[in-house]
Amino acid sequence: MSSKTTGNVMAGTHFLMGNIACAEGAIAAGCNFAAGYPITPATEIINHLAKKLPLHGGIFLQTEDEISAISSIVGASWSGCKVLTATSGPGISLMQENIGFAVATETPLVIIDVQRLGPSTGVPSIGLAGDIVQVARGSHGDYQIIALCPDGPQEMFDLTVRAFNLSEKYRVPVFLMAEGFIGHMRERVVIPDASELSLVARTIQRGAGGPMQRQDFLDAAVAPMPVFGNGLKSHVTSSCHDEHGMRNLSDPEIMHKFITKPIEKIMRHRDDIIQVEKNYKDCDIVLVAYGSVSRSAKAAAELARADGLKVGIFRFITCWPFPGEEIREMAESVKHMIVLENNCGQLFPYIKAEAAHACRVDFIGPQTLGQIHDPEYVLSRLKEMVR
Amino acid sequence: MPTVTVLEQSCKGVEDCGICTFVCPASLFSASEKMNTAGYVPPQILNQEKCTGCRNCMIYCPDFSIVVQKNADGSNSVEEKEEDE
Amino acid sequence: MSEIMHPLRMKYTREHVKKTTNCPGCGNGIIVQAILRAIDELGMDMDEFAFVSGIGCSAWIPSPLFNADTLHTTHGRPIAFATGVKLGKPELNVVVASGDGDLAAIGGNHLIHAARRNIGITVILVNNGIYAMTGGQTAPTTPRGVNTTTNPYGTLESVFDISSLVLAAGAPFVARWTTYHPRQITSSLKKAFTSRGFSFIEIISQCPVQYGKVTKSGSALDLLKHYKKDSIKIDKARTMDPESLKGKIVVGEFVNEQKPELSAEWTELKARVMEGRS
Ligand SMILES: Cc1ncc(C[n+]2csc(CCOP(=O)(O)OP(=O)(O)O)c2C)c(N)n1
Ligand code: SF4
Ligand code: SF4
Ligand code: SF4
Ligand SMILES: [Mg+2]
Repeated sequence: MSSKTTGNVMAGTHFLMGNIACAEGAIAAGCNFAAGYPITPATEIINHLAKKLPLHGGIFLQTEDEISAISSIVGASWSGCKVLTATSGPGISLMQENIGFAVATETPLVIIDVQRLGPSTGVPSIGLAGDIVQVARGSHGDYQIIALCPDGPQEMFDLTVRAFNLSEKYRVPVFLMAEGFIGHMRERVVIPDASELSLVARTIQRGAGGPMQRQDFLDAAVAPMPVFGNGLKSHVTSSCHDEHGMRNLSDPEIMHKFITKPIEKIMRHRDDIIQVEKNYKDCDIVLVAYGSVSRSAKAAAELARADGLKVGIFRFITCWPFPGEEIREMAESVKHMIVLENNCGQLFPYIKAEAAHACRVDFIGPQTLGQIHDPEYVLSRLKEMVR
Repeated sequence: MPTVTVLEQSCKGVEDCGICTFVCPASLFSASEKMNTAGYVPPQILNQEKCTGCRNCMIYCPDFSIVVQKNADGSNSVEEKEEDE
Repeated sequence: MSEIMHPLRMKYTREHVKKTTNCPGCGNGIIVQAILRAIDELGMDMDEFAFVSGIGCSAWIPSPLFNADTLHTTHGRPIAFATGVKLGKPELNVVVASGDGDLAAIGGNHLIHAARRNIGITVILVNNGIYAMTGGQTAPTTPRGVNTTTNPYGTLESVFDISSLVLAAGAPFVARWTTYHPRQITSSLKKAFTSRGFSFIEIISQCPVQYGKVTKSGSALDLLKHYKKDSIKIDKARTMDPESLKGKIVVGEFVNEQKPELSAEWTELKARVMEGRS
């Protein structure tokens, strides 16, 4: 193993736990304020950040609860920091109201969700992708966030950096949807040199005059952020507001924009945001998966091909905004999609809605919930389906 | 002599507020005969020459509706005392 | 003669905010001025401040009125947001203004932990004894035995003595005043804005429209008269027995001491570990 630290980056090849790779990704991305509350299976992230952030001039605050964690990172983001919190499903549930606040106020921040088996307190140490829809739809109202699904420790690093870049670029909360398995898995992680990492920092409002002379919010092309402490006299409210940030509860036109502009801001840039891994050329059947299950899907596809079946794979790297176009395009070139999820089928209806007009769509959950799909099991189910 | 001005437009009315009538040590405020565009009756000041310049009315008015100017140049250099129990 | 304007309004409020949202006679307006007067008397600039509020009538004190950075957050959470603002930019004077329901009920946990941490923010808690904005429901500060919308047959629970709670949680500066004491509020705020630690100012304030009507406590003037008549300075209260303090409002500065402040401690810690690293 070789290693050298340049700037904030622990460049080199390492053997790392997913959660540690994630924390290193945050540091490499320039995170300088993190807050959190201990919870299995995410705790290693905050433990590592608590140790390393101050060495790079950052702060880790252990808050009294997850509501305080999300609230304080929103506050620090308005003070100009690159911010993060890390938790698991129970923490996400507590944070939901103020995740909505971050969406409504266009606040850049990163939330790591190392998912565990639920509902409720469930099983802390067992991973299950049970929050995949919750993070997109769990806060009240109508909105769009970005969520990324790492498939192992390497992506825990890479996608954490990407999550910061996307949040800063689009002024939006970005989720990293790890599962307990991915957070605790140890693998080779290659961390590039600082010079090879491209980092994005938000555009800060430099406009003269007060907020009434500026567009601080509701720009589908992303308004510069009127960060506090710069004499901008910014007004930030999650109540319905106009482009100056001023509350307005009477103008239907403004209500419409308050909801649609932040959504449009993401959807207009979907091609920049959405990443998928696909390998289904000349295939009749595709295994569609994300996160830990995508590893089983790849192994099962190999087995199937060795058996002479034309089986490809499709992996969501971005799951929100939902890669509908990519699914539609695939549906038109294959005969059969088999969706594998580490849950009872949360994205399955979304996939089916985009694909069912053009091909057959089936679902295979884990043989036992809480255990990763066995590739042999996937293969046998697949054979039953195509028989 | 201090000049006391009621900014009638922002006043929320002697009937429901009337704080100025309570805190003026010289009891100079009473309901006027007027009504502002919001429908509130602002106070009138009678016998302004009895004003001590204490600025209570200005400090207690919840709606920025009273301005006390003590000096000719408009500054407010007055001696004030804290209200005690 | 040029048109006369209120100097504090002219200097410190947003030009486009034409009116305050308070009902006639609401104590919140007295607090608005008391805050601005403290800033004015200290000769400070609004750009040195960030104001954070929660949800409720009292949360409207700084927002959107004050011509400064203003963050209007969710119900109960302003202190948690403010903690992040302060740690992110320690040079800012971060001020929270919000209601008793907001800061002592739904947000009570953030309040005591902020006091314990000694994060260098100023918290102005408006104690009007009620949930005003939602229509006169019981707050943790509603006196025992009065009728409210949610206790139409009388409240059965005891009130929080919030200042004592915050004091016990470790806050280095705690004061309580009523809206009958605007000059004292200003004077305590001047200390709060220039001190480094967590500063807490509880202000007993009249809500004639909800508290006054629902609990049958009377008008704005009735409540102010009660504050005038029944307020007892802390020095005097210390010499009195609990029986004679019944129904009284103990006001004054309960504590004013120096303790290590969190954002400054972080700055030091970072310098220390970064030096150790190099
Ligand atoms: C999570 C949540 N629950 C409930 C409410 C509704 N709500 C708005 S203001 C308020 C009470 C405010 O009382 P207080 O903080 O005392 O402020 P006041 O209006 O008395 O100044 C409540 C319950 C809300 N906005 N958010
Ligand atoms: S300054 Fe004092 S005496 Fe003069 S009108 Fe106002 S309250 Fe009355
Ligand atoms: S105190 Fe102010 S708002 Fe109230 S009645 Fe007097 S002038 Fe009007
Ligand atoms: S309801 Fe009460 S607290 Fe709210 S603005 Fe009216 S008087 Fe003030
Ligand atoms: Mg209240």
